[in-house]
Amino acid sequence: MTAPFFKFGYFNDEVSLIVAFVIGIFFGLVLEKGGFGSARMLAAQFYFTDMRVFKVMFTAIVTAMIGLFYFSWIGFLDLSLVYYGETFLLPQLLGGLILGVGFVIGGYCPGTSAVAISTGRIDAIFYALGGMFGIFVFGEMFPYITDFFYSTPMGQINLPDLLGINYGIIMLLVILMAIGGFTAAEWAEKLMAEKQSKARG
Amino acid sequence: MLLKNFAELPARKRIGIVAIILGIVSIFASNPFSNVNTKVNIKELSLVSADEISEVNVEELSDWLIKGKYDYRLIDLRKDEEYKKYHIPTSENVTVARLLKSDLARNEKIILYSDNDITSAQGWFILKSNNYKGVYVIKGGIESWQKEILFPSCTCDENPTIEQKHKHDKLAEVAKYFGGELRTEGIIAANNKMEMPSIEAPATIELKKPKGKRKREGC
Repeated sequence: MTAPFFKFGYFNDEVSLIVAFVIGIFFGLVLEKGGFGSARMLAAQFYFTDMRVFKVMFTAIVTAMIGLFYFSWIGFLDLSLVYYGETFLLPQLLGGLILGVGFVIGGYCPGTSAVAISTGRIDAIFYALGGMFGIFVFGEMFPYITDFFYSTPMGQINLPDLLGINYGIIMLLVILMAIGGFTAAEWAEKLMAEKQSKARG
Repeated sequence: MLLKNFAELPARKRIGIVAIILGIVSIFASNPFSNVNTKVNIKELSLVSADEISEVNVEELSDWLIKGKYDYRLIDLRKDEEYKKYHIPTSENVTVARLLKSDLARNEKIILYSDNDITSAQGWFILKSNNYKGVYVIKGGIESWQKEILFPSCTCDENPTIEQKHKHDKLAEVAKYFGGELRTEGIIAANNKMEMPSIEAPATIELKKPKGKRKREGC
């Protein structure tokens, strides 16, 4: 058997929903365990006081990257079937900026707000309602911003193709970036802790 | 000695080192996207091709087209120029070399045709050996389409029975629908050419193609 199972037709739409449900439960569980269910914890990333979420996220990225690469290398996974979105440079830059601002202010991203709702956090309920209202506004506005939405299309590109560099080198660079990031994060945490203890006197 | 030192390191440092090693090894590993070489289950494939379930005949296809049934992708394997000259309505042009690079999905029903059975079989084999599930070939390809659907010849008796007449009318209707005509003896005598109709001929075909069927994936 080769993954991805759904694309190869090993199971049908109905079964895929059950699989998604099971994976979703475990994903939520892991997010909650990682501290993603707390707005304070998420906001702390941006004040460099507790970088746990950053570390969990980057570890997940590196783990998934190494796993996908080696699974496809030994022939267990057909990477050409793994979907990734198309790039629309400017709209995605702006969208990322808006999401980031919302992230700092609200303390959640869409997924983590769902996790936080399940543990009964009221702020998360309002966050999710706001998100849905935003979706509604976006939907109503869409005819006016369609041109911008589809501007600067670059198609389905990835870094190795864009830069013309070997996959492995990109992998190594991301791994080194992660390790550098972790070191910097711990250093920042220490620095902020000292600052805070000084401020308290 | 080295291993002992490694074991004494804290877990996160060990994980970091393993990650770096995997990263370095990956530089020398091949591109994960290039899957030109594939393993083929010869037994399974030979059994599949032995029965005729992987063939679609042109009558079935014309029936689906007229009814607007569209749960399959019709693929024309011929060259671009030939495709531009004439192709079966709704077909897409993908040559054999480009088959695996196209956006065909493995759980789609794919119907192939060409101007010879070898090319179709080639396409069928390539897709099948790459784990595409529902791959079918049009029996006789474009020639069969031309002879049996566009320009069917009538074997009319002098005094046709009702059944024969009915069948005859149906053939004529279908041929007309796709821009051809039924060839009775008179027509064959007058003009033996089977000119392919222009591509726009069946202007009335409206496919009930489900809009937005292609799922957008991602988070």
